[in-house]
Amino acid sequence: MSFPNPANLASTDPPTKQPDELPRFDPVGAKPLADWEHASKLLCCRVDPTGTYVVAGGIDQAIQRWHIATGSKTTLLGHENWVRTLGFSPDGQRLYSGGYDGRWIAWDIASEVPKPLKVVDAHRGWLRGLAVSPDGQRIVTCGNDRLVKLWSADDGRQIQQWSTEPNIPYCTLFAPSSDPTHSGDILCGDVVGNVYHWTHPRAELLRKFDATELFFHIGDIAPFGGIINMAFSPDGKQLTVVGLHQCTNAPAGNRRAVAMSFDWQTGQKGLKQECLKKELDATLWRGLYHSSGTLIGILEKEIAFWNSGSHDVFHLVTTPSEIFDCDLHPNQIDLYTAHFDGHVRSTRLGSL
Amino acid sequence: MSNPQYKPCGTVDHRIARRQFMGEFFTGLGVTGLGVTGLGVTAGTSLFSHPLGASQVAKAGKSVVVVYLNGGVSQFESWDPKSDLQTGGPFKSIATSVPGIHVSELIPHTAKQMHHMALIRSISTDLDDHALSNNIVRSGRTTRSATEYPELGAVVAKGLERADFPLPGHITTMLGGIGGRSNNAAYLGPRYASVAVGAEKGGIVNSQLPDGMSVQVDSRRHDWRRFVNSQHRSKVQSAEIDAYAQSYEQALRLMEKRDLFDISREPEAYQQAYGKTEFGKQMLLARRLVEQEVPFIEIQHGGWDFHHNNFEFHLHYVADFDRPFAHFIADLSQRGLLERTLVIVMTEFGRTPTINAGYGRDHYPKAWSIALAGSGIQHGAVIGSTDAKGVEVTERKVDHRHLFHTYLRAVGIDSSGEFEVAGRKFPIADPAFGPIEELLA
Repeated sequence: MSFPNPANLASTDPPTKQPDELPRFDPVGAKPLADWEHASKLLCCRVDPTGTYVVAGGIDQAIQRWHIATGSKTTLLGHENWVRTLGFSPDGQRLYSGGYDGRWIAWDIASEVPKPLKVVDAHRGWLRGLAVSPDGQRIVTCGNDRLVKLWSADDGRQIQQWSTEPNIPYCTLFAPSSDPTHSGDILCGDVVGNVYHWTHPRAELLRKFDATELFFHIGDIAPFGGIINMAFSPDGKQLTVVGLHQCTNAPAGNRRAVAMSFDWQTGQKGLKQECLKKELDATLWRGLYHSSGTLIGILEKEIAFWNSGSHDVFHLVTTPSEIFDCDLHPNQIDLYTAHFDGHVRSTRLGSL
Repeated sequence: MSNPQYKPCGTVDHRIARRQFMGEFFTGLGVTGLGVTGLGVTAGTSLFSHPLGASQVAKAGKSVVVVYLNGGVSQFESWDPKSDLQTGGPFKSIATSVPGIHVSELIPHTAKQMHHMALIRSISTDLDDHALSNNIVRSGRTTRSATEYPELGAVVAKGLERADFPLPGHITTMLGGIGGRSNNAAYLGPRYASVAVGAEKGGIVNSQLPDGMSVQVDSRRHDWRRFVNSQHRSKVQSAEIDAYAQSYEQALRLMEKRDLFDISREPEAYQQAYGKTEFGKQMLLARRLVEQEVPFIEIQHGGWDFHHNNFEFHLHYVADFDRPFAHFIADLSQRGLLERTLVIVMTEFGRTPTINAGYGRDHYPKAWSIALAGSGIQHGAVIGSTDAKGVEVTERKVDHRHLFHTYLRAVGIDSSGEFEVAGRKFPIADPAFGPIEELLA
């Protein structure tokens, strides 16, 4: 699969077509759409909810912002270590970034050269996970200090914190809320496979989901795996956690990617979804749902697709380099991926 | 760092007087340096470089402790951190107790002991295979055979040997397991090969007499064994038989010392301070063995071969190493043992500046580091350097052969000397190389 030169792309095939011009969602007909190059390894990416920008953070301590229609690139500086995680406010006006420097930073994404609006030293050690609430009022982060912290998105004030001792938390997520004025309950997945569910605003630990099958202990010293990422199905009935299992040699990276789902109401464990079509030593770094209910995942160089209720993938799209994060454009048809080789690529998941 | 219950009677005078007595006692008996295979030191090439001569150094009761980080620890995430955005990784450097020396933020406790330590940041070897690199760093020779040259432990056990010493001179600690003797002494013979001693609560694994066997019966068994052995020995000359016989006697002496290996006898505060991890327990055991003046002790900390997920794994593995190791150095210092103990944090090679697609680092013998502490070295020294990306050695390139000479010289063994075994002379270390003189105290 070859990706077109972005310089040509912008003028010939702008990806921000109106929805009525877009193809139907059909991953089997996926084709490369755009390829933007950066000189440093990328770890995370997000598309803003208006579909104007794609942003990506990496090990050069910077965030790159590409204007999707033109391909023009702007660099956002403010972190002092690897940029690990990104999130947008629902209106797309604010970008929030979290890094190995323990900080989260708020950015006015639409400004010509975005500067940090707010810099919050949030965690001692790495900040690992960051999520923005559905109402845009709250940020939840977690870090190597084994704390999960809830923040006011507006002024950076800490509102609440929880401990995941003795385990390091890995990722955070807000649960969907039917009340648009409610930020949603808070979820955190840790490195040994626990998912904590705290209510908001009462901050009580309501329950824990057990996904410890996704965890391995290496030499009784280091955890390997855990909850790498989480997503809700479009109907909000299913919580899906992703990571790895079947680890045979962790230091060599011998493991298999997996997604595991829970019924959100009952907490009952559901189907495991794997990639059996192709044997890959891989972690499922992110899983996200298309509005149709198809689960999209990234593992090594592959973009994988699972039908709802299917154990194995129904299609794989191979890209030129290892993928560490992905996000769907709001048009629900273009998938953006952040790669080890420093590129951000987009893939059109369908054909006319 | 302090041991709240430790009230040492550790004056220098006291220690010297005791060791002088012990050393003179053994020297007077004329048994220093004799082994069952007829080993000796070549006349005219003193084994010991100490100006007071061999017997004085033997009295010093020196020990070498190797902490072997098996698999290849990353120099970036330990002794030689870099701030380069593409190679340095996500960990920052921190200051140490020696102004101007910075190490990875992953070793904050060890950083506070840097005034007892030295770093060598310019090691360049040319093998990137685990087994082959293990051979060369342990033997100080460029060899592809694991049995061609004696390993450091065997050489030290021979070089610091004291007659009638009740314990093996070359011990590898292990928690659990049944132990056993390795084949790593080459021409020095099995007497100097490592003995893996499995420790558990109550002492050495399998060191109790079987149920129903009295001490008297056991003693008669051994008398019979000795008698039969001596009958056979009078007809057959064999170093191997002698080694077996010696092993039996050594095992018996070891059994009498089983309590030494029972770290549960240590005050709870000490056990807590070292940490109740496997590595913490081994470091505490190592301290007990240093107190007994065991010449060579090796502690293994395995699994550092992080081709994948290097940074996550180092986050946990280095933390597992840091506190027990730092406490070990502080404890030895507080007890007055560090001045006669050389501690080496050894590994077989470093890891690549390049971060691979699994966020791992691969094998890198071209520019890597080790740390030393204690006896015979300049404390607070840093030997050599690498470039800003950690790709090349830029100053004072050394390799395993220089290191081998340096270790030996640091504990008073003349590495330019020779061993004589059954009439053949063997250079103690590679004669084409020498120690890192500027590192030696």
